[in-house]
Amino acid sequence: MTSQVPVTVLTGFLGAGKTTLLNRILTEQHGKKYAVIVNEFGETGIDNDLVVNADEEVFEMNNGCICCTVRGDLIRILGGLMKRADRFDAILVETTGLADPAPVAQTFFVDAEVAEKTRLDAIVTIVDAHHLGTQLEESHEAAEQLAFADLVLLNKIDLVDTESLSRVEARIRAMNPYARIIPAERCGAPLDTVLGQNAFDLQRVLEIEPHFLEDDHAHEHDDAVTSISLHADTALDPEKFQAWFGRLLQENGQDILRSKGILDIEGEPDRYVIQGVHMLMEGDFIGPWPDGEARRSRLVFIGRGLDGMGLAEGFAACKAT
Amino acid sequence: MQSDLSPARRPREGFRPTQLEAKGRRVDTGAHVTAAVALGETVVTAHGDGALRFFTGDSPPRTVAAHRGAVLAMAATGGEAVVTGGDDGRFLRVSVDGTVEDLAGFAGAWVDCVASHKATGLLACSVGRAVHVWRQGATSPEMFGHPSTVGGLAFDPSGKRLAVAHYGGATIWERGGRRWKSTKLVWAGSHIGVTWSTNGKYVVTVMQENALHGWRLRDKANMQMAGYPAKPRALDWAGDAPHLVTSGADEAICWPFDLKEGPMGRSPLCVAGGGKQLATMVRALPGHPSVLAGFQDGAVLMSELDEFAEARVLRGSTGVEVTAIAVTDSLSHVLIGDANGTVLWAPLRTGGENAWPV
Repeated sequence: MTSQVPVTVLTGFLGAGKTTLLNRILTEQHGKKYAVIVNEFGETGIDNDLVVNADEEVFEMNNGCICCTVRGDLIRILGGLMKRADRFDAILVETTGLADPAPVAQTFFVDAEVAEKTRLDAIVTIVDAHHLGTQLEESHEAAEQLAFADLVLLNKIDLVDTESLSRVEARIRAMNPYARIIPAERCGAPLDTVLGQNAFDLQRVLEIEPHFLEDDHAHEHDDAVTSISLHADTALDPEKFQAWFGRLLQENGQDILRSKGILDIEGEPDRYVIQGVHMLMEGDFIGPWPDGEARRSRLVFIGRGLDGMGLAEGFAACKAT
Repeated sequence: MQSDLSPARRPREGFRPTQLEAKGRRVDTGAHVTAAVALGETVVTAHGDGALRFFTGDSPPRTVAAHRGAVLAMAATGGEAVVTGGDDGRFLRVSVDGTVEDLAGFAGAWVDCVASHKATGLLACSVGRAVHVWRQGATSPEMFGHPSTVGGLAFDPSGKRLAVAHYGGATIWERGGRRWKSTKLVWAGSHIGVTWSTNGKYVVTVMQENALHGWRLRDKANMQMAGYPAKPRALDWAGDAPHLVTSGADEAICWPFDLKEGPMGRSPLCVAGGGKQLATMVRALPGHPSVLAGFQDGAVLMSELDEFAEARVLRGSTGVEVTAIAVTDSLSHVLIGDANGTVLWAPLRTGGENAWPV
């Protein structure tokens, strides 16, 4: 068996600095070989043997699941790259500034061959610290890209003062409490803080403590995308939880962009870790609860219109009695 | 992906090596075998390092450096040659004697699919959403556009029509005098491969969602051939009462096209099972109602097209996915290629004791 090649998805608005980062990755001496999949009509204009053009064609699976919109071109290109004799250490997928990142992420969940040979490493969103405010007001794609991010490369911080910078950070944090924010000038962050993040590994969900526990966040009602953190100190009934969570994703999967959680399931010694993109969810029991630590379930949702979904009540009703 | 609270377990079993393997030649090329086709008594393999390798009789294989990246597609064509498409954007004709001819180049793009029709000399390749078609002797191709990237190409048995698979269905291009006219076959989803029935009356596509979709051309009636646990990527036609043989399950799934209604309302024949592994490649035994099926664990089984037939193990489990199978026209040799670039070239016609019953 060959190991899975990690794939980093790079999103961000036009001019945020995607090309700068890609050029660094392709030209810096790091001893690794990256293939870069760029969008056909993109702004990158990078000429390199390792660059493949994609057309960002999405299609809906014919199974009636509205959230199963995936990138067929990505399935084709990743399949082709896997056949090459000179295999790659990692692959980067650049999306246009106006692209919805969901179909890219969903491709890794939905296609069995893609899932077998590659793994989604992280969704990296590059943000222009100076222009984020305007972009969030002008288009919903900017919010969507932030909501999906595992890592936000907050670029061009040299163009804003300290006060604006903390305002921008707070705004990102309110929409996405678990993304790591890396401030940078001219995309100058060390590459190993951006690539090889393993963010979709369920193990990593366990490490997202810092902002995870912050109760109920400061809602910013002007942003359509918000987040909600829930917790419970009583063990959960597995059947009740499955039923509630399944129904929730089925009914609101369109609006729940991402979800992550560490759960205490009644009668199980191990932690149950879940994470999802829209209605696609994966979960597994990963390791026992640490000695001396309270068995506390935590669940985070990022999405639109979360307030109307009765999340807190639904989750509370899953407690084992 | 599922939210089951209990992890799934799958037992692994394997087949031991066979006599046929012991008598064969094993070549480790180190480059994924992307395709294999027979040209009479020669079998040509295409690889992830851009090379083609020619296997004939007892001699060691001859290597021809053709593409600069991976060979993505290959088809046999007239004049003891194959046409190939690569991720270097080139469409080539490579002859048994090793001559490499550049048919076309598309800088910065991939040539994903190729097709050839021997009797008419028609050649076709796809680059993104476009299909380029060459008539025999023509220096420049005709170009057909499609709504999305092309997933598969196939000429019908007469060479008058070309089927093109893409998102939302397939397009049939029909040659009438000097012009080609197109007809749409509509079915939602992504279609990633296409084939014609041997009588030219049906078109069948491979779908992203682990299914085949077929159309009866006379009335565009839809046929859904679903229920696969994986994508039925490999297709071939076997037997005189033809069956469409497919991969994508733990045995070879063979849809009957012998009656007027094709496979409508009928169940497929399932043969060459028993390995509890997914079939990744299937091939008809030339001139016989038999199929060879290659599996994810490297095993290759052969079976007659008969639900009571006993399958035989041609090659035992190796742990590496079978990606290509081809048999010479006289059935003298079988070639088995895998994802690690290992090729087995073995004498096939040396008696039944070569292979184990399953």
